[in-house]
Amino acid sequence: MTNSLADMDRSECLFVIGSNTTETHPMIAKRILRAVERGAALIVADPRHIQLARFATVAVRHRPGTDVALLCGLMHLIVRNNWHDQDYIRQRTEGFSSFERVLQNYPPERVAQITGVAVEDLVRMAEIYATRSPAAIYYAMGITQHTTGVDNVKACANLAMLCGNVGIPGGGVNPLRGQNNVQGACDMGGLPNVLPGYQPVGDEQVRSRFEEVWGTRPPGQMGKTIPEMIQGMQEGRIRALYVIGENPRGSEPHLRHLDSALEKLDLLIVQDIFATPTAQKADVVFAASAVAEKDGTFTNTERRCLRVRKAVDPPGEALEDWRILCRLADALGAPQNFEKPEDIFEEIRRVTPSYAGMTYARLGIDGLQWPCRTEDDPGTPILHVGSFARGRGIFHPVAHKEPAECPDDAYPFILSTGRMFAHYHTGTMTRASTHLDREQHTAYVEIHPKDAQTLSIEDGDQVRVSTRRGAVALEARVTNRVRPGMLFMPFHFQEAAANILTNPAADPVAKIPEYKACAAAIEKIMGGETAQERSV
Amino acid sequence: MKDIVRTWLESGRIDLFLGYRLVDGHPIPHCFSKERLEEVEQLTESLARYPLEKIAHQMLQKDPAVRIGLMARDCTQRSVRVLAAWNQIDMDRIRVLTMSCCPSDAKDKAFCSYLQEPETGPVRKSNGMPSTGDPDDCRVLPAEERLRRWLYEFQKCIKCYGCRDICPVCFCKDCGLEHEDLMDKGVVPPEVPLFHLIRAVHMAGRCVDCGLCEEACPVGIPLRLLYRKVNGIVTDRFGYRVGQTKDQSPFNVLGEFSPLELSSLDD
Amino acid sequence: MDCRLVPSVCSYCGTGCGVLFSVIDGTLVGTYPIKTHPVNEGSLCIKGWNLHEHITSPKRLRNPMIRRNGQLQPVSWDEAIQEAASRLRTVVEEHGPDSVGVLTSAKITNEENYLAQKLARTVIGTNNVDHCARL
Ligand code: SF4
Ligand code: SF4
Ligand code: SF4
Ligand code: SF4
Repeated sequence: MTNSLADMDRSECLFVIGSNTTETHPMIAKRILRAVERGAALIVADPRHIQLARFATVAVRHRPGTDVALLCGLMHLIVRNNWHDQDYIRQRTEGFSSFERVLQNYPPERVAQITGVAVEDLVRMAEIYATRSPAAIYYAMGITQHTTGVDNVKACANLAMLCGNVGIPGGGVNPLRGQNNVQGACDMGGLPNVLPGYQPVGDEQVRSRFEEVWGTRPPGQMGKTIPEMIQGMQEGRIRALYVIGENPRGSEPHLRHLDSALEKLDLLIVQDIFATPTAQKADVVFAASAVAEKDGTFTNTERRCLRVRKAVDPPGEALEDWRILCRLADALGAPQNFEKPEDIFEEIRRVTPSYAGMTYARLGIDGLQWPCRTEDDPGTPILHVGSFARGRGIFHPVAHKEPAECPDDAYPFILSTGRMFAHYHTGTMTRASTHLDREQHTAYVEIHPKDAQTLSIEDGDQVRVSTRRGAVALEARVTNRVRPGMLFMPFHFQEAAANILTNPAADPVAKIPEYKACAAAIEKIMGGETAQERSV
Repeated sequence: MKDIVRTWLESGRIDLFLGYRLVDGHPIPHCFSKERLEEVEQLTESLARYPLEKIAHQMLQKDPAVRIGLMARDCTQRSVRVLAAWNQIDMDRIRVLTMSCCPSDAKDKAFCSYLQEPETGPVRKSNGMPSTGDPDDCRVLPAEERLRRWLYEFQKCIKCYGCRDICPVCFCKDCGLEHEDLMDKGVVPPEVPLFHLIRAVHMAGRCVDCGLCEEACPVGIPLRLLYRKVNGIVTDRFGYRVGQTKDQSPFNVLGEFSPLELSSLDD
Repeated sequence: MDCRLVPSVCSYCGTGCGVLFSVIDGTLVGTYPIKTHPVNEGSLCIKGWNLHEHITSPKRLRNPMIRRNGQLQPVSWDEAIQEAASRLRTVVEEHGPDSVGVLTSAKITNEENYLAQKLARTVIGTNNVDHCARL
């Protein structure tokens, strides 16, 4: 996030797009509702009728995969009505004129046709966002999990810059991170192209600095992303995979493709707290530790680095992950002299400028928001104040593209996948929790009452959902939370894994698969058939 | 205060004392013991309230013989009495150290977070339930208007169950709020208004009006007001005041007997 | 009897709510919100309130394991680490460091993520490091 959570109390307008916040980030939804009750305007755009929509000033349900068109439509209206912040654009951005020309392709009538949102609603959204300042944008996976994910994000950034909302309190473009330490994993260099602190692997000077601390020069050639690794596994170029705390067999699109890739490995090491489906394929399994069993830090979605403390020992012989990593490094002939997580943190500070000012003592319970460069730096609640990290903000022209797979006669529905409030990710953690499992025990698919009626599906019926990649059987939930023509399925349930169905087509830059839109068919299962998946 | 706790622990009148200490500037509940007497120096009062009696209850379930001292506000003492009345704890095992809370000019440091007026913005004013905490304040609104406002409040619920999980007197092993027969599972908001009415019915004759539920509610539903209302009925009809006596309420609906709930809603 | 309340952070979504674990006699028995925490200000969602449950689940892995005759079997740490290390070494010798991939995690700490990528980059010698952020 460019801004802070506390900052929401200062927004006059909140625009939530592609985030079912009350279910996926409930404690952020808490602040959104509080802002609404204080009098801030709330705009909600989501293909489903989400809980937040009940409290919105304007709520629209656009067709999945039409976010760019929707956002460009709003920007078209803002420019047409002269609601944009011309001083801000002149002083702090570049590329506006060519961007403005592209916007001309998005008159409201055309946008209404693409998105299914009425012209009046478009006008109201544009007016509210542009005139109630400061305005903040919040988005989550509904924006990023598309083949046009990067364009979607750029469109959000364009909208914010157009109205002068970046770098000001109560404004900003704020992605809500899905998993608890995604931010930290990225900050720590858990990416193929950057070292800790987003320092590019290709930069000689950067590598020399790391060599000084590490004693070994990190390689300069860019590594592979997960989809590339899977491809590499298929082709025999990746022979060993070490998976820590992840369950790709639950989270990757097109599960069958992944399984055959895993089969080809010489060595699969899995480090986890449960015998996940991925662990069941492993050659070596390391029993690891959960959150209350170790010291360390997490960094949340607002860049706040927070202390995690050990409360109990891991069960049985299980070990803290950092100890396992140290022992493995040791066995590979590269001993790491860390006695406790704090020692590791001290090394992190040395190589990561944005964390340099943090110490365990300073973090306390409140934590600190990076960048925090020196020990008297109070941290940075808002990014890009005064100027952007790279000088001027750039308007990137973007254009609407249909999802990689559109409904047709054989597969007439658009299927979106996502989360529901009681579960998390592939369900390995939440389904081991009695209360959460009791809240939602089985997989389900949401279908609109009209479609259900046409197909004589009733609430609670067993149905089969299929796509070009496979099929799963599960329970139907008939609800008008989804639009007609749309299906929604949570992906937490391995026995009806949504990712047997999803399309691995990914954004060309971010490589994020299109989980929010693929073509699907649904039919009622007549008696006798078991709830077995069927391959196509 | 520190001296009393030290004496209690040293003399063996209690085995453990539940109070607060500051951790990185935050008041955090802490269990003081004879083995670590030096820690008593860190004992502090806390403006933030945690359900210490709930923690004590859990400890007693593990070891019924342990004797626990408790830093107790007025509300803590009321819920200890209710827990005893419901045979959840043995009064002899608990010794309370009274903390000055309900404010008066005659007292120092008297403060209670739940006496703070909740924030009210324009939207809340026109849609929400006025949450002054006094059921009489709501009676000025016409019945339909009251219903509309309660429904607005209930629709905000994100089903965290925090109101139950933090409540010192919610101790049912098999909670009625999670019964499949009563409630649609796996959807938010939970069925309006059933979810909240079930809990309200359960709190009749039991809620000690500590306000912890309302403080924990992420979406600011004026829960205390709701439970005050049902408690008012119990007081009016049966002359029973929660937390003032050692007797159980004449009106009792437990989670274990959840089918009763439906009939009691029809009353 | 001993009872401790340990401040920490929820490990489910990216909000990073402050939690208080309650531990009685070395067993996790409950999770409470930290009342004065800047992120969640005294509330939690359903996942946070039940955070301790997945940690105390009987399904937790208690031993390292190695696949022998097609079955995963419990072994000692020394064996598991040795097995992993020697087989990793073989792969690196035969196919080069870039034939190894390491997936770090959004569920482990910063310190552990840091160590994992350091291991990949310095000990194995590859930038094939990624995690499931996009999923
Ligand atoms: S006020 Fe709320 S938390 Fe306190 S006893 Fe009543 S219901 Fe329980
Ligand atoms: S605490 Fe509030 S949001 Fe949570 S379940 Fe209770 S009423 Fe609903
Ligand atoms: S059944 Fe009622 S009284 Fe019992 S824990 Fe649940 S809400 Fe509380
Ligand atoms: S308590 Fe809920 S909102 Fe807070 S971090 Fe955990 S999962 Fe996210």
